[in-house]
Order: sequence, then structure tokens, then C-alpha cells
Amino acid sequence: MTNYKIIFTGPVGAGKTTAISSICDRPPVSTDKIASDMTRAVKKTTTVACDYGTVRLNGGDCLHLYGTPGQERFDFMWDILVSGGIGLVLLLDNTRPNPFQDMDFFLDQFQDFINQTQIAIGVTQMDRKSAPCIDDYHNHLSKQGLTIPIFDVDARKRQDVSLLIKALLFSLDPGLIENND
Amino acid sequence: MDNHTRPVKIAALGMEQRTYSTLQLFFHEHCKDSYVLVEENSADISIIDMDGFQAHRMLEEHKKHYPNQPSILISLSHDKAYDAVYIRKPIMLEALSSALLKAKERLQQPVAKVPAPEVPTVGIAPQLQIVASNPETVTPLLLNNVVHNPHKIARQEKPASKHFNQYRYSANFLTEDADLEHINTKLAENFNPDNPIQIAKFQYQPEQTLQGYFQQAYFTALQKQQNVLLKGVWRPITILHESKQLRVEKNFRHLYALSGMLFDKSNVSITVLDNNVDCEPGLHETVLPAEPFLWKLAMRTSRGRVPANTNFTAPIKLIRWPNFTRTIITPHALRIAALWARQPTSLMDTASYLAVPLQHVFMFYTAAVSLNFVAPVITEENHSTTALPPVKRHRYRKIFQNLLERLRNN
Ligand SMILES: Nc1nc2c(ncn2[C@@H]2O[C@H](COP(=O)(O)OP(=O)(O)OP(=O)(O)O)[C@@H](O)[C@H]2O)c(=O)[nH]1
Ligand SMILES: [Mg+2]
Repeated sequence: MTNYKIIFTGPVGAGKTTAISSICDRPPVSTDKIASDMTRAVKKTTTVACDYGTVRLNGGDCLHLYGTPGQERFDFMWDILVSGGIGLVLLLDNTRPNPFQDMDFFLDQFQDFINQTQIAIGVTQMDRKSAPCIDDYHNHLSKQGLTIPIFDVDARKRQDVSLLIKALLFSLDPGLIENND
Repeated sequence: MDNHTRPVKIAALGMEQRTYSTLQLFFHEHCKDSYVLVEENSADISIIDMDGFQAHRMLEEHKKHYPNQPSILISLSHDKAYDAVYIRKPIMLEALSSALLKAKERLQQPVAKVPAPEVPTVGIAPQLQIVASNPETVTPLLLNNVVHNPHKIARQEKPASKHFNQYRYSANFLTEDADLEHINTKLAENFNPDNPIQIAKFQYQPEQTLQGYFQQAYFTALQKQQNVLLKGVWRPITILHESKQLRVEKNFRHLYALSGMLFDKSNVSITVLDNNVDCEPGLHETVLPAEPFLWKLAMRTSRGRVPANTNFTAPIKLIRWPNFTRTIITPHALRIAALWARQPTSLMDTASYLAVPLQHVFMFYTAAVSLNFVAPVITEENHSTTALPPVKRHRYRKIFQNLLERLRNN
């Protein structure tokens, strides 16, 4: 049995915990409380300072979903978290004062990881604030020469989160076959 | 209703311009104006040409909105699938007169609920395309002209944001994809991009379709940073450039039914509005996000075909991912988008590399190119057919496959 992981990241309140809960098997373990205790978090790899959930796959394999803590002060841990990850899901909260700045920050933090794998971006809370729109995000990214899947996502909707992961998987391997799409 | 004092109002739907004018003449000369042609929503009786592309769908849509309006269906075929008065083509004056009388009788009968007969399935698009027009809305193409709207209506309150209810409608765009089923993907199985006859079969001219006009209006609005008014036989559509939305009549769904028709440019106008013009939706109007609207319109107009002059062997590059959570996902769209983002690939190669029907590639391409989400990569020699370096199989493909399966099952 091998373990694979997908990392969910994004600013505070972007919907990471919610997104992970909406697709994993059991209610995820949220370790926000112990997040302040770094030593312990780094040491105990299964209960790092983050959200955690699993999806059991055919053949006994297991997919692990990790959500990074939203606070920037934890950034040094992200390297440890992403090692062995298969891809990144970045969630951005559209109601935050400067979501483009958030996007740039996380793209920068995870640059190496993204280069080695793939990324999909979900913009949440668009029902509460519709501007900037998805097109604006694309315009911002295209200035940096990036073509990334960005969807309007409600982290509470399983279908939305699921689509984001699908886009990530197909970006990793467009040759994958989806029987019913 | 008093038949002696007021003419019977007739809506002519899905008509060729010539047929429309002939009807007009017939009502005027032979019937002494006891019938007049009007818009669908104010008509007593409708006359519908059933031989047009997507006529059945248009009729369904019409019946849904005007269930009590008697219809006269004109057609070449003997098919009588609907509860209506039928006239066989070619239309004879006598037949038309008697059909009108029959419909009028129905009109005078108390409204009875008619059970909807079974709908015949619509096959792949017949090549026949029809022109619909309404002489009352004839306006020259007004591109580049700033027209000050004389009908500016003062309203008491303005919403804080110009983004009207965007979220509320998005779900509809996601689910209304019944049309996808009608594509017969076998048709393009032996498609040969060097055969002009086959090419002609799988290409269409978007210019004179609602898609083409809408596209032109939409990009004019974005480019000029001004709102734009699109008029034709449909109720006026206003494109709101800032929020990338459109203001349309509430029952906008019938617009999709117009996707199979051609409209002469003399009957369509695109007017750039002054930015001061009040574009708030009226009582019978609503606001929709423009991108999924155009996406769907193009998808429907395409029906597995591509716009004329599409290059089948030039590599296609993804410029922007469609917002797939709020847009119809055409078959295999995610895979095609992912492939074109990673590695520009021609339409032909995409179908063979992904092992998907060519028409599904066409459908995605047409919807995406209407919004400039994709573009061909123009190179010196566009012959990618043989030397395609395939995207490498990921070492975790099996795991990904299992995960996809899981995401679907839950
Ligand atoms: N209205 C709305 N609420 C959302 C959406 N997505 C998530 N939420 C809600 O936003 C709140 C915050 O979500 P969380 O999942 O706690 O966010 P988080 O990213 O884990 O936040 P931190 O752990 O603090 O970094 C929850 O109440 C969610 O239900 C959305 O698209 N619209
Ligand atoms: Mg959280």
C-alpha cells in the first residue's frame, strides 16, 4: 500500500478545511489548535499542524489530503508538507482585501513544488463578492505567462471541489480516461 | 374576443424571410388585414415552420411558454406528432385559410389541457438553415456609432454592485446540457481533413447566427469598455461590459433555440451605448453571466461542427481554462483543455491521442474559440499529424484513475 497526497493551501478562511471535509471519507482531523506548537508539529508527521483527511482508493491505496494552516508564519513547514505530494490545490477567498496578492504569495511560496507537479486554483466566496471575476484572475496570471485552471468554487460543494481535483489530475496526465465525462 | 373589431395576431416562427413576407402579403391582401404578424409573446396564434434546424426544440420552448396558444405547423413531412393544425408544404392559399380558421376555432374554445404527445427525436442537423426575420426590427448595423438611448428610465434605487445576482443563475448553465446527447459521433469517424466535401459537412458559418452576432457584440463591449445593445428578432440583449454580464428577458432560454437559424444582417443591430445609459434590468428582465451564455450558445450552434476556415491540423493552444464549475462541461472537455494547456495539439491529433470522438473535440473547440480561450498556433508548417510527441504517461496514472473513479462514485 502506498500513500499519495494532495496539498490544499490558501489564506485564512479560504475554505481549506471545508473543501477537505467535503470530499474525504471521514470528518478530517483538524489540528489548528496544536499548530502553535511547532516542534511537536514537525516531529509528529501524521498530525502536523494542518487539516488532514483521507480518501481510500481501489487496490488499498490511500490518498491523503493535507490543508496548510492559513497563517503565513508557518511557511517554513510547507516544504516538509509538500514533499512527496502529487499536486497543489490553492484556494483563494474573493472577499479578502487583495486576493491577487494572496495568489502571488502562494504561487511564490510553492513555486518549486508547482514546477514539479501541477496546480489548480479555486476562488471561493464568489457568492458573497463577485468581483474580481475569474477572468480578472486569468488576466493577472497571463501577465506572468501562466495558464492554470481557475474555477469559481464553493468549498462547501463537493461537486466543485471534485472538479478542481479532476482538473489537477488531468493537468498531471491528460491521457487519463474518464468514462463518463 | 371580438373578431370583428380586432385583427387576429399571428406569430410566425422559424420562417424564412421569403415565407414571412409572403404571409404578410397574404394577410394584407387576401385577408384584408384581419390577421397581423406580431411578436411571439403578444400573439393569439403561432405559425411555425417545422423544417428548420432545431424547429422541434423551438416548438417545445414555445409550447412551454404559451401552452394555450394554438399553433399551425407547416412542414414537408406527414409527421403529426404535436397537437396542432398542420399544413403540408408547398403551402396552398386554401390550405392556409382553412388552417387559420381551424386555429381560430381552437382559440375560441375554452382552454383544455392538452397532454403533450411524444416528442420525436431530432437527428443530426439537417443542412437546411432558415432565416427568421421581423421587418419591424430592421435596423442597419450600427457598429462604431455611439447611440444615446432615448428611453432612459429613472429608477429609484441602484444596487450597490453592478454584478446582479450572478450566482443564482449559474446552476442552470451547469445542468442544461441535454443537447449533448443529440450528437451522433459516428458521423465523423472517418473524417478526412483533406476532403473538401467532408470539411464542408463539419463546418458552419457563425457570422449570421445569433452566436456570431452575440460574439461580435460581446467583444465590441469589452474592447470599447462600453455597454452594447444587440437587437434582432429576439428581445433586446444588453451586454454589460464591466461585469461581463448580459441583460435579457427573463425567459432567455428560448434564445438557445435560435441557435440553428441564420439571420440576415439587415435585421440585426449592434449599438454601442453611452456609459451613462441606465442598464438596470427591468421587471421582465434578468441578468446572466455572459461567458457561460456564449459558451452554451456556441456549443449549441456547433452541434459537433467547427467554424468555417478552422484549420484541422494546426496545433491548438489553450489560452485560458474555462470556468468549468459554472459552465457546461462538453464531453471530455477537461482532458482536452489539459492537453492543450500542456502541449498544443491539432484537432485531429487530439481525437486520436485522447481516443475521443472527433466531434467532441470540435464541440469543445467551437465553444472555447468563441470566447478566445483557445487559438491555433501558427507555424511555418502546420503538419503535426505524424510527429506528435505524446504527453508522457504519468507514473501514478493508475492511482489517478482510481481517484477519478472515487470522485465519480461518491
Ligand atoms: N458563502 C460561502 N462560504 C464558504 C465558501 N467556501 C467556504 N465557505 C465557508 O467559509 C468558512 C471558512 O472556511 P474554512 O474551511 O474554515 O477555511 P480555512 O481555509 O480552513 O481557514 P483557516 O483554517 O483558518 O486557514 C466556512 O464557514 C465555510 O463554510 C463559499 O464559496 N461561499
Ligand atoms: Mg482550516
